Amino acid sequence: MAIGLVLVTSLVIGVYGVRAARSTSDFLVASRRVSPNWNAMAIAGEYLSAASVLGLSGLLLKNGLGTMWYAVGFCAGYVAVVALVAGPMRRSGAFTVPDFAEYRLGAPRLRKLCGCVVLVIMLLYLVPQFKGAGVVLALVSGTPYWVGVVLAGIVVSGSIAAGGMRSATYVQAFHYVVKLLFIAIPAVYLVAHAGADVRAQALHPEWGTHFSDTTPVEFTVDTRFGLDEPVEVTAPGGGRLELAAGDHTVPEGTVYVFPQGSAVPHPAGLPDLGGERWSTPLLNSGGFPLFETWSTLLAITLGCMGLPHVIMRFHTSPTARTARRVAVGVIALLGLFYLFPAVYGLLGRVLTPQLVLLQGTDTVAVVLPAQAVPGSAGTVLTALVAAGAFGAFLSTSSGLLLALAGGLSHDLFQGSVPRLRLAVAVGACVAVLLALPAEQIDINVLVVWAFTVAASTFCPLLVLGIWWRRLTLPGAAAGLSVGGVTATGAVGWSILLPTPDGWMTVLLAQPAAWTIPLAFTTMVVVSRLTRPPDWAEHAVLRLHSP
Amino acid sequence: MSPRREKLTSPQTRIALARGNRPAQHLLPIPGPVDTEAARRLFRRQRRTAVRTVALLSLLLFGMSGAFALWPQLTVLRVSGVPVSWALLVVAVYPLLFLLALWHVRSAERAEEDAAARGEGAAGKGPTEP
Repeated sequence: MAIGLVLVTSLVIGVYGVRAARSTSDFLVASRRVSPNWNAMAIAGEYLSAASVLGLSGLLLKNGLGTMWYAVGFCAGYVAVVALVAGPMRRSGAFTVPDFAEYRLGAPRLRKLCGCVVLVIMLLYLVPQFKGAGVVLALVSGTPYWVGVVLAGIVVSGSIAAGGMRSATYVQAFHYVVKLLFIAIPAVYLVAHAGADVRAQALHPEWGTHFSDTTPVEFTVDTRFGLDEPVEVTAPGGGRLELAAGDHTVPEGTVYVFPQGSAVPHPAGLPDLGGERWSTPLLNSGGFPLFETWSTLLAITLGCMGLPHVIMRFHTSPTARTARRVAVGVIALLGLFYLFPAVYGLLGRVLTPQLVLLQGTDTVAVVLPAQAVPGSAGTVLTALVAAGAFGAFLSTSSGLLLALAGGLSHDLFQGSVPRLRLAVAVGACVAVLLALPAEQIDINVLVVWAFTVAASTFCPLLVLGIWWRRLTLPGAAAGLSVGGVTATGAVGWSILLPTPDGWMTVLLAQPAAWTIPLAFTTMVVVSRLTRPPDWAEHAVLRLHSP
Repeated sequence: MSPRREKLTSPQTRIALARGNRPAQHLLPIPGPVDTEAARRLFRRQRRTAVRTVALLSLLLFGMSGAFALWPQLTVLRVSGVPVSWALLVVAVYPLLFLLALWHVRSAERAEEDAAARGEGAAGKGPTEP
């Protein structure tokens, strides 16, 4: 119901803007009359993706407090944007990173290379959005995962092809409000309703994690888990089964009913729920917590400025000054929002620990309210969160799809509105096809992948292009290629292929710590070997002249 | 929403569109600043501000995570029931990020105002936003 309402409202606002869209650039960048407040809200609305609404609380539940660094990174990314790119990018008059590359380095061929990088980043970012939509719809309405993904693709591409960015600005500002309210109200209600006992448990992971109720657990995949103490579970036939302490492997399809108060088993390969590794606020999946945290922080903080849909948004501000101020507003809005995902993760450990066994932690924000508040109030809260999540998915993916389509039609081919519409449809199809097999991959793993590629390609291009006059065309091209190939390849390898243990795993899964310096170094070294044109200094100075 | 809307195209895009698939004949002529020395001074000042902000941001992020790694007691230590490290990571860091960004914007705007004031004094020409 609530999802339907959000959908309908977005579509109405979306279609409302149709008449106004007349030319490609109109379509791509909303009129500059959009007010700064609306603009900041739209940016925040577009930026808060399914990764923020669903992924963060799920990851907190599964991997522990360290995952909150993702949220900090998402927000800190805008500090880097304010400091390094917001003002100068606006002054360059370039709408997209490829535009900027052509302004600063004067080469159409680099534009094509940038266009290709845009495609990679946007696809990596779109896939987890569609995955989020599929998961939420499957959970709320019981449809198979693929139905949600396909439906989401149709809705998003339809609303964009009809309205373009003009409407997207209002749709996305509206979505920020939806997301904030729909995640904040249930969170506050849950905290108040949970009672002192649950709140204390949520803050004291060392007390251990127990099933808060008699809990049936249906294993949908083969699962290995460990038990600290023996537990007597009930099999579906009614037979009682004594599970000894130690490791167990259950085949797909098994159903065990765990009694109330029994300790939650530890799934293999994950930190103990509430254990020391879980409650230490560092990212720790491979045994090198500080390196992993720093590498992820680098990727997210620097990747933010390289995200094509983030950069594009600054051109809706009339001046460089407003562009910077809008970005500061975005930081405030993001900071406010990110106070809430932790609530779901922390309460989820106490109330719905079985999600970890089911590998369904991405759904914790949707499942938790119904579990915590029985009856119709819980259903309403679940609907609220689901609608918020769906709104998150809709607004982010429409922005992403637009940037993707913009990249296709504007940078790689010649732009025109019908072609842009075609590009939207093509982009959505590819993203849907890629999202179908991605059901088992964490939303945030995919999102951080996109950030890592952005941080290893466009971040050095923009930072050096704006602040260093000696950057040259061969330098930029070499750096873009090296950064793009290493970042995409490393994470792809770690997801798709088995990796050797130890340092290699961490370096491949969290490559930002070496790919970003590598890309910067390549750009600097190759630029030093070549000569910048005479007008390079003017091009740089103009970016900083009021 | 106003009925009349202006069409905005970046100069690069206009050139790219007009050019079509033919290779570039000439690049966009970039006008030099009126006073190159003043523009260089402003650029260097803005770069110092940017470096300062990025350094502080790194200090905040890397310092905080480093502190969590160095002193695990931060998770054991509690203030009114909440582990200190959790409170820092989940709540306290956001206002700090906001203040840092705000400070940067103030500094950057002051640099621009100073440059404009000096430019007016020298050439009697006000700043123009491109």
